[in-house]
Amino acid sequence: MRFKASIQNVSTFTRLTASLNSLGRLAWVKLTEEQVCFTIIPDQGTQVWAVLAIDSIFETITVQSAADNVINLEVPLALLHRALKSALHATSAQIRLTKKDNVPVLALTIVMAASANTHRAFDAPFDDFGGGSRETMVTHEIAVRVLSPEAVAHLHEPATREPDVYINLPSLMQLKSISDRFTKLALADTKPSTASTASRTRLEVAANMHGCLKLSIKSDAMSMSSTWTGLTNPELDPGHISGGAESIAGLPSTRMKQLGSADGRSDEGWSSVRIDGLDWGKVMSVGRLGGRVIACFCHEHALILYVYLSNNNGDDESVLTYYISSYSA
Amino acid sequence: MDDHDPPVLMAVSSSARQLYLLLRCIAFSPKAHVQIDEGGLRLSVDEAGVMEASVLLDKSMFTTYTFNAPSPSRGSQVADSDDDEDEELEPSTTAPTFQISLPALVETLQIFGLTDPATSKTSWQQNTSYGAPSTSFASSNIFGGMNNLCRITYSILGAPLSVVLTEASIRTQCDLTTYEPEYTGGILFNREDLALKVIMRGSRFHDAVQELSSTSPETLTMIAKTAKGKPFFALSSSGTLGSARVEFNNTPRQPSVYRTPAPTNRAAANADGNGTPADQPLENLLETFLFSDPGTVLRSKYNFSRIQKATRAMSVATKVSIRIDAQGVLCLSFMIEVEGGGSGVAASTAAAAAGEGSPKHSFVDFWFVPQLDEDEDGDDGEGGDIDETMMQSGGEGSDMGEDEDDDILS
Repeated sequence: MRFKASIQNVSTFTRLTASLNSLGRLAWVKLTEEQVCFTIIPDQGTQVWAVLAIDSIFETITVQSAADNVINLEVPLALLHRALKSALHATSAQIRLTKKDNVPVLALTIVMAASANTHRAFDAPFDDFGGGSRETMVTHEIAVRVLSPEAVAHLHEPATREPDVYINLPSLMQLKSISDRFTKLALADTKPSTASTASRTRLEVAANMHGCLKLSIKSDAMSMSSTWTGLTNPELDPGHISGGAESIAGLPSTRMKQLGSADGRSDEGWSSVRIDGLDWGKVMSVGRLGGRVIACFCHEHALILYVYLSNNNGDDESVLTYYISSYSA
Repeated sequence: MDDHDPPVLMAVSSSARQLYLLLRCIAFSPKAHVQIDEGGLRLSVDEAGVMEASVLLDKSMFTTYTFNAPSPSRGSQVADSDDDEDEELEPSTTAPTFQISLPALVETLQIFGLTDPATSKTSWQQNTSYGAPSTSFASSNIFGGMNNLCRITYSILGAPLSVVLTEASIRTQCDLTTYEPEYTGGILFNREDLALKVIMRGSRFHDAVQELSSTSPETLTMIAKTAKGKPFFALSSSGTLGSARVEFNNTPRQPSVYRTPAPTNRAAANADGNGTPADQPLENLLETFLFSDPGTVLRSKYNFSRIQKATRAMSVATKVSIRIDAQGVLCLSFMIEVEGGGSGVAASTAAAAAGEGSPKHSFVDFWFVPQLDEDEDGDDGEGGDIDETMMQSGGEGSDMGEDEDDDILS
């Protein structure tokens, strides 16, 4: 079993681990030579299924294993994130799977230009002493668990029905700042005893097929909502739908197009989900990666977010999928 | 039928930020009383009946302000259309009064800065929201007040107070539940019978209170007296960790010599104050010092942590007026510069003429009931003596080095 890769985009990788780390402690990482998958399935809250093209974070990669050259690892995200953070100013960073005392570890080796750390007064008087190499090498070792193919065989992406509404979200950072404010208000609003925290931070998120998104929260003292208009609802590609163009006509989203209006004032045509504001805030932290985000609403059932990370060449996109299930009223 | 009645209040402001910055000054209480009349919206909060604060959102801060007083004789007009809603309300009041959640209102108004994508990257909003707030309202408005509208509506008695913020493609609506007003007697402050009136720069007062807060004191004592015709004003704090004192005295200049003895009636004092306008505003720490009874020392004690609740107002105020009435009730009035209602969007539009970009003033008032754990305010001899000596030695010598020289010379 061999895994070795050089990291080409440390900052993206760091931001990815940071945002995943907020949702779960452990990630299932599936490595192949074509793609890397990060999956987080917490006991409660949002599931993340991320599929990354190799070149979005790695430059060169070698993956070899007895099981079709696929390696499954269970990685503690906090440690990985901390290691990556120290690599932000590195000239190069490499990651590989090794064994130490019979424990599998991910070794992250960082090479940093040493001159940056050296004070002039402490310059080595004999430059040839270190063989001319003026670099610092740091290696982080992160203990991981290797998962057998059987152990992960039963893990599947959640199955959801056809969404009622899909919409391009506005900037996640903007959404996050507003929803965080809503949550804070709901928590500050009444005495702690009146209701449990979870039920008070319940946000309602709704969208229609006319470019409107609505975020709202209710409490005893106020009801508050923010409505975005002028967003876009992406067109479905008939090539990707089984049954082609005629089956698009039968989709719930086509029906939803008949309802509602573009100014967001109509009560019809909204598909809404109830989610936990604190959890939502964590999901929104993926906005740091700055990709395009499509939200799919299954009315009162689930909200699925597709976060696309564009590569340097712009076409072959990596995608992070978030599954957020709706609370009942 | 209610739809046909004009709403009680319909106010539009092009700068939610101005409203926010003013309301934040009194945002120490979960509920605020709102009173609406022709002049504007008055929001007031109180704490345990011993501290009150109030701010008037003057109608001039709004581009549109329409107030339709609900009919005072409700029985005739409303009875057929809408009976159960209005019955319990006091029929004699024409100015509607109710309570709302103040944090909710403040947070709503604040949503503006957050949603502006251009500013979400910068750190100004953190600075102005939680750090040391900037004293310049106008400059922060460059970022926060662009291209957005805030509409406050109160349709009928009993309806929620709704605040609608519109910015670019985002519309935020907050319906604040209106609660029945609680009966509050209010702190009686007799502005006709003042023992002391001091006006100084807001920053000086703020600095002094900040300085004293370092020992986390329990009480703040305000001390005022006239010595050798010179005004003395001191803030003294005391607590378990010790006590500290900040003293203010005016540089003795030629005109102030003629002020001895300090006038006992206010008319004379005003005349005197007006007589020396040239150098006074620049030279003197205390722009105004009116002391009703110059023969005595005024000492009045207040709860320090309550005074500290006015810190936000102190930090943005250009001037503060400190008034203590004969009963010892303290009234702090902060003058805060705001821009006119038209200034936000209007700077580039026709309404610019109305706003003209010139700063206007808003006032935030705080009232505090004195602590009476000692004898009456300093008309006794014993306590006064101690202070007297501290004032004499400390006041003249310590405050400013050059003062002392001047003293000796004059």
